[in-house]
Amino acid sequence: MIEVKNISKVYGKKSNKFQALTDVSFSIPKGASVAIVGKSGSGKSTLMHVMSGLDRPDSGLIIIDKQNILELKNKAVDLFRAQEIGFIFQSFFVQANESVADNVSLPLEIAQVDRAKREQKINTALKSVDLFDKIKNKAKDLSGGQKQRLAIARAIVNEPGIVFADEPTGNLDSATGDKIEDLLFELNKKNKVTLIIVTHDSDLAKKCDMRIHIRDGRVTKIDKTGDGK
Amino acid sequence: MRTIDVINRAGRSLKQAKVRTLLTSLAIAVGSFTLTLALAAGEGSRQYADKIISSNIDPQALMIVKDKSLFGEGGSMSGGLREYSANSSEYNGLTFKALSASDVKRIEEDKDIKKVTPTFLVSARFVTFEQKENKKYTTDITAFDTSVRPEVIAGSLPANGKQINDDEVVVPESFLDTLEIKDKQKFVGSGVILHLERPSKELSKEQVQEIMITKGIPGLEEASKPISMDVKLRVRAVSKKSVTSLSASNALFISENTARDLSDFMTKGTSQYQSYISVMALVKPGVDPATVKHRLEKHGMIVKTAKDLQGLLFTIVNLIQGIVIGFGVLALIASVFGIINTQYISVLERTQQIGLMKALGMRGRDVARLFRYEAAWIGFLGGVIGALLAWGVGTLLNPWITETIGLGEGNYILVFQFIPAVVLIISLMIVGIIAGYYPARKAAKLDPIEALRTE
Ligand SMILES: Nc1ncnc2c1ncn2[C@@H]1O[C@H](COP(=O)(O)OP(=O)(O)OP(=O)(O)O)[C@@H](O)[C@H]1O
Ligand SMILES: [Mg+2]
Repeated sequence: MIEVKNISKVYGKKSNKFQALTDVSFSIPKGASVAIVGKSGSGKSTLMHVMSGLDRPDSGLIIIDKQNILELKNKAVDLFRAQEIGFIFQSFFVQANESVADNVSLPLEIAQVDRAKREQKINTALKSVDLFDKIKNKAKDLSGGQKQRLAIARAIVNEPGIVFADEPTGNLDSATGDKIEDLLFELNKKNKVTLIIVTHDSDLAKKCDMRIHIRDGRVTKIDKTGDGK
Repeated sequence: MRTIDVINRAGRSLKQAKVRTLLTSLAIAVGSFTLTLALAAGEGSRQYADKIISSNIDPQALMIVKDKSLFGEGGSMSGGLREYSANSSEYNGLTFKALSASDVKRIEEDKDIKKVTPTFLVSARFVTFEQKENKKYTTDITAFDTSVRPEVIAGSLPANGKQINDDEVVVPESFLDTLEIKDKQKFVGSGVILHLERPSKELSKEQVQEIMITKGIPGLEEASKPISMDVKLRVRAVSKKSVTSLSASNALFISENTARDLSDFMTKGTSQYQSYISVMALVKPGVDPATVKHRLEKHGMIVKTAKDLQGLLFTIVNLIQGIVIGFGVLALIASVFGIINTQYISVLERTQQIGLMKALGMRGRDVARLFRYEAAWIGFLGGVIGALLAWGVGTLLNPWITETIGLGEGNYILVFQFIPAVVLIISLMIVGIIAGYYPARKAAKLDPIEALRTE
């Protein structure tokens, strides 16, 4: 369960001040798939950064599993991110010169997972995105869709409870994008991962249990489909 | 993040920028090369000096003098105004304070002294060899040192600690060339004559008058003629050329008694009679020479133990080594800026990677470590390259150096040691880490959101 309460975020100072988020509140049940939708510049990425502890809001609460992460010290927030959160970015951010395996290994190293357990976790993650045969390849030799699958494998390798995806299909053609989407929802269903997708693709948004609409830093509408609460 | 993982990642990112890594570490390698050679040269020179000293000086020996300048301390060897001392000796036109007979007696009476040998200054006007008639030669002459046994190529030497007979002489191998003697076995046993001359006594007016009256002009001529003496010796042995033995190669050895007699003859009637510029004393075994040294120094003598002499030589070696090390350190300082520059650019190039790692929960401290370890890797690489290069070049050059400056077979001026090399490489890694400090801090402070925005 993620509860976002009265979040406000201001960028810059004095004359350059810009109110990116204003009094944003909502809650996301565990295991749900959520789309944050809105026009460019509406504050979607900012919201995602704040929710994941990457950035600090000026006011409000982010309560994840009864813990207000804004109260935690930097070190604890880093640890929380390493253990509980997976990230997928629009422009992949895979390390081109590193091997596929080393890319996926990074979150495990950061979370100080034992060496002995790593290999198995890496293999499982790569198999679930169907990239196991490329394990020894350099990341730069992969196609765009494969890179994003690699990014997904990296996001899920440490079995996080929450996966954030910022425009995960934005850089892909629609056929490849569809495959990535299927993969994400499969993860959501099978592993009970809370999936939070930032997107302006309404088709993708429709596939989610819940949509949070944002305009100019404010939540304008929250709608749910199916039997989701 | 675990240290081993940080080290592995650091190593991998360097591998991905091979050329840049290599070029940066080459700058360090220059420093490492210079330092390795300096260390090797220092060690080699020290070992060589050690060898020379131990094959020339008994560790229990004391060198005793009265004149500080003889050990190169205080006062110059020549010129300048110096206090007159009745007890002074002249050598090569220089005047030195000398040890008097009573000084020598004092040393002899010390309870821990086994043996005292004054350095007799024997200078023959000329020397003739039976096998080379009608030719006159000049050479240094010294007393045979019983504690050093040179190898011989002809004849034989007495057992260690025993003197040669008073009518015997040991000739160095090098003299055979000058004498053009082929058959060295025949040379052994042949005669050598030392011709000594000392100026006649200065005659007073009364003495001149007296001689004139009693003996006339021829008598006066006779009286003012230098007094000369011929000493006939025979060759006992020919000593082998030795590079580590200082005296064996260039002087005739005569027995201690003969040396004393000749020295007395030369100085008879002068203030230098039975006074010596230096004295060598042997301390009884088991007694620390340093304690005897302190005792004698209370009596105004200047005493050096074998260790002191070694120190004297080492000071020079250390000074030269220090200068070379200075150059090496200079090269290192230059390379530090190379590392800073490389790592700084690397941080700028990898902002996105750093941002990702921080977004995934990597601590700033660990990011800084990653960059510091990369710098340490560069230091390690440079250190190893430089040390190996120095070792290779040194090993190739050593025989040539030995031959060129005539060190003698088996002596090398560049002695490479493992431990100093390891210490050097570790130091270079630390230098790398220090150089990487600023770029690493910049990486640690990077804002992940900012970094992830850059595309
Ligand atoms: N560091 C910053 N300083 C000042 N303004 C910022 C900063 N970061 C974001 N903003 C502003 O905040 C607003 C929200 O930005 P955000 O990146 O959250 O938009 P977004 O909804 O993700 O847009 P897009 O769909 O294009 O990614 C934008 O107007 C942006 O200009
Ligand atoms: Mg965005």
